[in-house]
Amino acid sequence: MPKIIRDLPDTSSYWAAIWTLCPLPDVHVICDAPIGCFNLVATAIPDYTDAIPHIENVTPSVIREAEVGGSGTGAAVERTYKDLADTGVIDGKHLIVVSTAESEMIGSDLSDLVTKLAPGTTFFHSESLSDDEWHGRDRVLQWLWDNYGAAQAADVAVEPGLVNIIGPTYGCFNAPADLHEIKRLIEGAGGRVNLVFPFESTLADMSQLAKAQVNVVLYQEFGHTLADSLGQPWLHAPIGIRATTEFIRQLGAHLGTQQQAAAFIRQEKRTTLQAVWDLWKGPQGDWFSTITVGLVATQTYVDGLTDYLSRELGMQIAFSATRPRRPDGLDNEGVRSTIHQRAPSFVFGSINEKIYLSEANARQTNFIPAAFPGPVVRRAVGTPFMGYHGTVYIVQEIVNRLYDTLYNFLPLDSAYARQTNGGPPPAAASGNDGSTSGDATNGNPGNLPWQADAKAVLDAAVEQLPFLARISASRELQMRVEAQARARGLREVTTDLAAEILSPERK
Amino acid sequence: MTEVNSTPAAPGKPCQLHPQSMCPAFGSLRILTRIEGAHPVMATDTGCLYGLTFVTHFYGARKSILAAHLGTEELMAGEIVESTRAAIEVAAKEPGCQLIPVVSLCVAETAGLPEEMLPKRVNDAEVVLVRVPAYAIHSHPEAKDVALAALLNRLGDREGARDKKSLVLLGEVFPADPLAIDALLRQMGVEATITLPGRSIDDLRRAGRAGALAPQHPFYRETMALYRAWDTPIVGGAPVGVSGSYAWLKAVGSLLDLDPALVTQVAEAEREQAQAILAAQPLSGRVLVTGYEGTEIAYARLLVEAGAEVPYVSTSIASDPLTLPDELWLRGRGTREIVYRKSLEDDMAALDKYQPDLVLGTTPFAAAAKERGIPAMYFTNQLASRPFFLSTGMAATLGFIKQTLDRTASYQWMQDFFESDDTDQAVEASAHA
Repeated sequence: MPKIIRDLPDTSSYWAAIWTLCPLPDVHVICDAPIGCFNLVATAIPDYTDAIPHIENVTPSVIREAEVGGSGTGAAVERTYKDLADTGVIDGKHLIVVSTAESEMIGSDLSDLVTKLAPGTTFFHSESLSDDEWHGRDRVLQWLWDNYGAAQAADVAVEPGLVNIIGPTYGCFNAPADLHEIKRLIEGAGGRVNLVFPFESTLADMSQLAKAQVNVVLYQEFGHTLADSLGQPWLHAPIGIRATTEFIRQLGAHLGTQQQAAAFIRQEKRTTLQAVWDLWKGPQGDWFSTITVGLVATQTYVDGLTDYLSRELGMQIAFSATRPRRPDGLDNEGVRSTIHQRAPSFVFGSINEKIYLSEANARQTNFIPAAFPGPVVRRAVGTPFMGYHGTVYIVQEIVNRLYDTLYNFLPLDSAYARQTNGGPPPAAASGNDGSTSGDATNGNPGNLPWQADAKAVLDAAVEQLPFLARISASRELQMRVEAQARARGLREVTTDLAAEILSPERK
Repeated sequence: MTEVNSTPAAPGKPCQLHPQSMCPAFGSLRILTRIEGAHPVMATDTGCLYGLTFVTHFYGARKSILAAHLGTEELMAGEIVESTRAAIEVAAKEPGCQLIPVVSLCVAETAGLPEEMLPKRVNDAEVVLVRVPAYAIHSHPEAKDVALAALLNRLGDREGARDKKSLVLLGEVFPADPLAIDALLRQMGVEATITLPGRSIDDLRRAGRAGALAPQHPFYRETMALYRAWDTPIVGGAPVGVSGSYAWLKAVGSLLDLDPALVTQVAEAEREQAQAILAAQPLSGRVLVTGYEGTEIAYARLLVEAGAEVPYVSTSIASDPLTLPDELWLRGRGTREIVYRKSLEDDMAALDKYQPDLVLGTTPFAAAAKERGIPAMYFTNQLASRPFFLSTGMAATLGFIKQTLDRTASYQWMQDFFESDDTDQAVEASAHA
């Protein structure tokens, strides 16, 4: 059976190369690409993932029919290089030529050609037809070290107390906030941040990675190969209370700053983390065990959120899927049918899961962005998932969504909807059943009798909804069915009618 | 710059390093995903698929998108047809599926995807192959044409009697625009208008029987060729601005054989209204119109008619006989450069040369203008998404342009603040803004 893709969640290693190389300001990339592969990677998508108008230090060779038809891309790359050199754009920069799926498709290997361009120009074969973005990032980081770092690092000595952060690149969800928090934790544990590679570094500085005593690899998905090459102890960035506490302790142990690390943890419990403790003690904490959560994100986020939300706060994980997908994990077909069958109270995911929720009409489910693809601005540093700040931000987000759910279920006099003539605004409509303007369900006197099986249909419909929505939803659904019964002149609610009205809720 | 390195570019013309267009193929996805009951299948590599799905989920439709998996393995084994067929089978099972456009992109087109190897129909769904490799199509608007022509060629109803008093309005426009146009045309005696591209498969079917075709945008070459082959007359121009709208209404009247007195009466009333709007909100200022939607020349024409100076217009589409009337009109009224298949470098050179008061452009170019404190808007998001045609559209578009020009001070303040290291100066500027 041939493989089929539904709503691809991970892009290719060509994108990984551009998004890893271009944060380095002293690099200029020529991508051996048709116009579309250039536009999407350098402008259209980073506009929405990273909120930057466009990536400036990448230029396409602009593959056209002639190149595909047999002439190859060498001349186009050479022409691009000459124009760049003439305009002075690449003065003082490291020029790197990167292959794309299309250039690989026509077998364009430019390893020889680059030797005729500016001295030191290199060719990175991105393996775009076979590798995904995660493996791609890992590979290009190691390739950079092999070509631009290792030799120069031979006489760089380790300086105690210095810590590198490896990752993020462009296109990493929530990177600014997570990075900000990890820097804070490193300093709290007694370290000093050396390089943040590639995001806040230059390629010329790469050899200085060797100065750090410890490396922090921001994500499980990439950066570990480079960290291994650097030869110093390294840690993954943490999510959740336990993982963060362990991270600070271990970092302190590696740096020999155990006491400072312990003092920082004590201080954080009384400050940053106090909010989690207060919410746990308050009425909000009582809801946690009723909350069901679906997770679709990187392994880093899925593992971290599972630890924090489930093991620590006691929420139920309804389903989880990592991107890239593990061999035995749910693919999007599986995630989609799970959501269509029964949507949990919260879904952390990408725009794909958001679409599946829309298809399922799952208006009682709160969607929280936790992965790309999907347009979302995450440039504020106050929205981390990682570290102690992350634990506060995530639980605060969940509780506020619960408040919204409750608000939307409180009764609203239907006269206002009639007055504005268009029914309730979308936000309010998402709280009630949305299919009526309010006056059909509100204000009718008394209850109609329900046949026993009709009541069972109602109970089943309510059972499908997230816990917090049930009390109000059960009243809403009841009134909606009764309004229809009255409209049809029935004296009791029949099973058929209940099934007819409530069937959309039973997906 | 040394002699040896001199580029083949024409003297005085900047080199074209960064051509400006959304990935051309997106034009087709934008149209195809929005059709109710259509479930596209894409044939391409993963990077392309990721990017195009991303923009489709932003600008197209909330629609799950299927694709053949085309990695090294499948391409080496020549399994492209099998994978695509498998994806088509899955798409056909979607609820309400009536149409499966197969969107074939660079890698699949390079490998070869023979149409005769794909089914024509699966269950209730028509399968229509749309070939849009970016290396051959060159611009995002032109791919809209390729997709629409493929759909009409398959679905257009050529059997029934022609609806002689019906008109196809061709081109993606703000939803209120066709309503305004339809209302006016009905006053003239038109019985129905069909807006394409749209959301209904039935519209594609009955578009085959229409009395005439009216392209609102100048890049629907293949679709027009199809209508010519169908022997259906085509209305030139578009209902844009005072003189453009008047001429267009008269042309529709004569092609559909409507009552000339009635047509003149409606066209003159509309012209008066348009003139009143221009008189009420005249523009002044120098504007660069530089999107990649293929509609820039018509916008430039409207702005010039309203009193603005538009020395430079650029677009992603190629020059075409269809753009010629507006081009001549603009050149006769002070426009000095009209650049087709433009690059960021062309636009940047114009920014230096003309020192505009307002820039309508691509995201990189609009960002560059804002860096200089010049008011700027992303053409695609801000113009292509508001009313434009006839007097009502004119009022909406011109009102927006004027409003943006009036905000010049805030663009300058932002620039001062972010470009200046002198904090006192920035606060000073704020006080005057």
